[in-house]
Formats: sequence, structure tokens, C-alpha cells
Amino acid sequence: MSFEFEDVKDTFYLALRDRLAAGAPSLQVLVRGVLRPAVVVAENELPGSAVDGIAPLNCFCLHWTSVRLDRGLSVLGCVIRYATDGSAGAAGMDRGRALSAMDAALVSAVSTAPQNAAQVTVSEAAAGAAIETTTGQRVFWSDVALGDAVLRGERVERMATVEVYCYV
Amino acid sequence: MSGAGAGVRMADALLQTLGGRTVLLHVPSPAVEGDAGEQVGLGVPSFQDVELGPVVFRRVLAGSGDKTAAARYELLVSVSAVQRIVGSLAYDSAEVLFQNVAGVLVDADVLRVVSVTRAEAFGEVYLYRVGLIGPDAAAL
Repeated sequence: MSFEFEDVKDTFYLALRDRLAAGAPSLQVLVRGVLRPAVVVAENELPGSAVDGIAPLNCFCLHWTSVRLDRGLSVLGCVIRYATDGSAGAAGMDRGRALSAMDAALVSAVSTAPQNAAQVTVSEAAAGAAIETTTGQRVFWSDVALGDAVLRGERVERMATVEVYCYV
Repeated sequence: MSGAGAGVRMADALLQTLGGRTVLLHVPSPAVEGDAGEQVGLGVPSFQDVELGPVVFRRVLAGSGDKTAAARYELLVSVSAVQRIVGSLAYDSAEVLFQNVAGVLVDADVLRVVSVTRAEAFGEVYLYRVGLIGPDAAAL
């Protein structure tokens, strides 16, 4: 059985996406004209969409950072950045409440049991549609650790971290 | 001058007078709805080049001998030109359009968008100031 780090990353993303879609359906992001649950993997999007300053607001942006192997266990570090400027109706005065709502949605999606999912391999079919097949392994992840909120201009941002595990 | 659209007309006239050139926006085609492959980086997007003008293109940071410093440029863009593209490609706003642009083709160089700011007068946006980074940044 070959081991692919990409499968671990894809599995965690798909699990988080589906949990957010179920738990916080109002959180959506427009990516190249299509509405999706508000979670994107920065390294999988066009470079321009991850540019600081015009990065999508009200969206969880996943950045895969570290990888280490520990006695057969692979540990992948995932940084989740998100920011909001509140709602236009409240002139942004509700941005703290909006950030708290995003905190709650993220904690619920990551920390609700079970904190694991069947590992999947995503591949392109001939017709262009993606096929998801399970590998027989499971991907596990830690609780989410929320960093300090940072006020940057009219937006308030937070960086959270999660560790994702899979046996090699 | 405070009439509706007056700022936009004045900006258009100034942009035409100060060069009035056109550039090409390298715009990705819309994503495929519900395609997990695209979301995990397996998609191969197609692009279209859309003409944008009148604009003024200028360098804002001259090279100082520091070879690690990427050249930065600025594009001053007519609001009316941006609105034509936003409308025809069905983007929500100019910010979303520039957020999705994969590059700006100026002569033979493809530059990356790093910032977008709006200039307003009397509550009306009359100009977009688009920050660009040069092709030498990619070679570092």
C-alpha cells in the first residue's frame, strides 16, 4: 500500500468542508463564480486568490505547513486563517460577533466526534469529474487551537492550528 | 463637480489624456460546481484574456540595486471599464474580479495583482488603483 500525504490533506479538507456545510450552511464563499462552503485550501487555488489584502473574507483558508514522521505516524500541521469585517448593515460593528460565530463553527466542525474520517484518494476521471475512493486507512486530527484575534484595519483576523495524523 | 457620474467621466478623460493604454486581464473561466477535484488542486482551469482600458500603467518603486526587491507597478483603472467587465463576466464586484484575476498582461509581461484600492469623491468610486508585482519576483 503506497502512502500519499496528499490523500491525508484532501481527506481532512473534505471532512471539514462537509461538516461546515452541515453545521454552518450560511457560511459560503464565491470561488471563480461558484458558491462553495466557506473553506478553501490556499495551495489548491489560483495564486491571486490567496493574496493578502484581498483574500476572501468570512472563509476558512487552510495552509498546510509542517510534516513530520513519528514512529510510523505522519503528523501534518494545518494552519487555518480566517477574517471578517462584520456585516454592512451593522457598519462592521458586529465583526467581533461574526468572528465568534466563525470560531464556533470551526470548533464544532473540527472537535465534534468522531475526530477521524476514512482516508480518500481523489482522482480525475476521463470525463473530468473527480472520483473519491477510500484507501482503507483512517485520518485523525487533534482539537483546534485558536490563536489571538488580531484587529487589522476594519477586519478582525484569527489563526487556528490543527494537527492531522495518519499511519504510514 | 458633484453630479452623478461626473467623477467617473473626469477620471476617464484624465486616464485617456495621460496615456489611455489598454492591458489584458488573464481571467480564469468559472469553476465547475461541486467538483471536488478542482477543490483539491486537480483541476486545470482555462483562461480568457479580457481587454481593460483606459488605464495608466506606471512603476512605483524604482530598482535600488537590491536584486531581491521585486519591481512594483501600479495600474490606475477607469471605473467604467471595470464595470463593463464585471457586468459581462457576472462577477459580484470589482474587488471579486481582481481577486480572481490570474495576472495582468502588460506588453509581454504577466504581472500579479497584490492589492486593490478604490478612490472615491462625493461618495462615488471614480478610480481603481491596482498594485502589481513584476515578473522578476517569480524568478527569485
